[in-house]
Amino acid sequence: MADDKDVLRDVWFGRIPTCFTLNQDEVTEREAEPYYLLLPRVSYLTLVTDKVKKHFLKVMKAEDVEEMWFEYEGTPLKWHYPIGVLFDLHASNTVLPWSITVHFKSFPDSDLLHCPSNSVIEAHFMSSIKEADALKHKSQVVNDMQKKDHKQLWMGLQNDKFDQFWAMNRKLMEYPTEEGGFRYIPFRIYQTMSDRPFIQKQFRPVSPEGNVHTLGSLLKEMYPAAIPSDGEQKRYQVMIHGIEPLLETPLQWLSEHLSHPDNFLHICIIPTPTD
Amino acid sequence: MSSCVLEEESFHRCCQLLLQQSQQLGDGWSWEPVQGSQEGYLRKTALRSVAIDPRPVRDQAGSSSDCGQEEEQSAPVASADADTIRSDAEDEDDEDEGVCAACDGGSQVLQYEYHVLFSCSYRTPVLYFRASTLEGRSLSLEEVWGSVHPNFRVRLQSSPLSTVTQQEHPLLGQPFFMLHPCRTEEFMRPVLQAAQDQHRPVNYVLTWLSVVGPVVGLDVPLQYSTQLHPAASVCMDPADDGPG
Repeated sequence: MADDKDVLRDVWFGRIPTCFTLNQDEVTEREAEPYYLLLPRVSYLTLVTDKVKKHFLKVMKAEDVEEMWFEYEGTPLKWHYPIGVLFDLHASNTVLPWSITVHFKSFPDSDLLHCPSNSVIEAHFMSSIKEADALKHKSQVVNDMQKKDHKQLWMGLQNDKFDQFWAMNRKLMEYPTEEGGFRYIPFRIYQTMSDRPFIQKQFRPVSPEGNVHTLGSLLKEMYPAAIPSDGEQKRYQVMIHGIEPLLETPLQWLSEHLSHPDNFLHICIIPTPTD
Repeated sequence: MSSCVLEEESFHRCCQLLLQQSQQLGDGWSWEPVQGSQEGYLRKTALRSVAIDPRPVRDQAGSSSDCGQEEEQSAPVASADADTIRSDAEDEDDEDEGVCAACDGGSQVLQYEYHVLFSCSYRTPVLYFRASTLEGRSLSLEEVWGSVHPNFRVRLQSSPLSTVTQQEHPLLGQPFFMLHPCRTEEFMRPVLQAAQDQHRPVNYVLTWLSVVGPVVGLDVPLQYSTQLHPAASVCMDPADDGPG
């Protein structure tokens, strides 16, 4: 199992080199230099961009500054999705660094949730963990935790403390051996080809006949188009944390090792690049 | 002991029954299917005259994750029901006159849009809503809290309904406000249990809506209950817990 522990670290410390540029319509007192940052894949945009904000505020007047938001090639970026999901969904197969545009006005109310403070991110994060545990353990593990345990999960993420986070998170990853996995796998399948933001349903790690469900069996049920039929060219890439796991990978293993800190397995389906 | 969760299939059945009654009562519920799937949601829009309360409401962020365990247990079902099912509900145009009379501040007409979705994680219905002015400006979370009647606000802070947060609508991908479902099963359990013990028919979605709706200005006319047709309306599920 030593190797599997390394997977957790690799997932946690995944970074995306990013270049933040100020939207050219913003009113500035002098030219704004771009700002470069390594973004943690498992964190949230609004949680790790204090420096970006400070950088651009230096060239702006206070009265020209409203709530900060981010955009990539015309798409407002949803801060409540993990950063890695946003990148895989919108920008994989493009050149690095990832080029994000920063806005301080015209907040797109109809596309983005407001994020006035870190406590809103914390609420969103904890609510995802609770929802995941409702699926995995009928909420029993998360309800047995104390307030300080919840805080430990959040602080671990906020301060990028792998050991602090996983000391608590491993409890959320336990299950009775005889059942072969969680009750249901918390997953979300994202794609950009329709208005529906993601697919989320109940799916067990093991079939009623006792067969282990794989990534392939999940997709077959939820998004059959993602699985190439014989002889057909691959139309879609199925990405988790920027890689394409084998469709034969057991879902329970993926849930334990490739879930984001919010305890959901976020799966992106993107059209195969044509060139 | 029976479980008080709702399966997706029963959710759809409850919604169908509610829609049939809504058609008779003419109170405007419709079913919005999601393209290319079996899924969908109940939808209703309403104009509300809302008193704008200038007082600050509460720390919106800090408490929003706390649909938690440590909050005190009150008995919201009985009390909320008694207070909020209004006897004059048939008078649709005037439905908020009581609210206005109770407040000194100005009032404003707002457009509310309510959606009832099924949460497959919590296996409960969930109420999503958004509100805008007649000019089309969306209301912020603070303004939405401000439009909740003060009496409700006080009670909300110590009840299982205590959480209104802004969330992404899981079918539309747009920001909506949501009453958090994580304690729905808890407050529905006694109602369903009692109904089952007395062999009384109960429409889970309707009963639930009559509890959570009034919090955000959505009244459920009493006729839904008085016209309830016994033969067709048992919408509760037997326990289905699967392995484990």
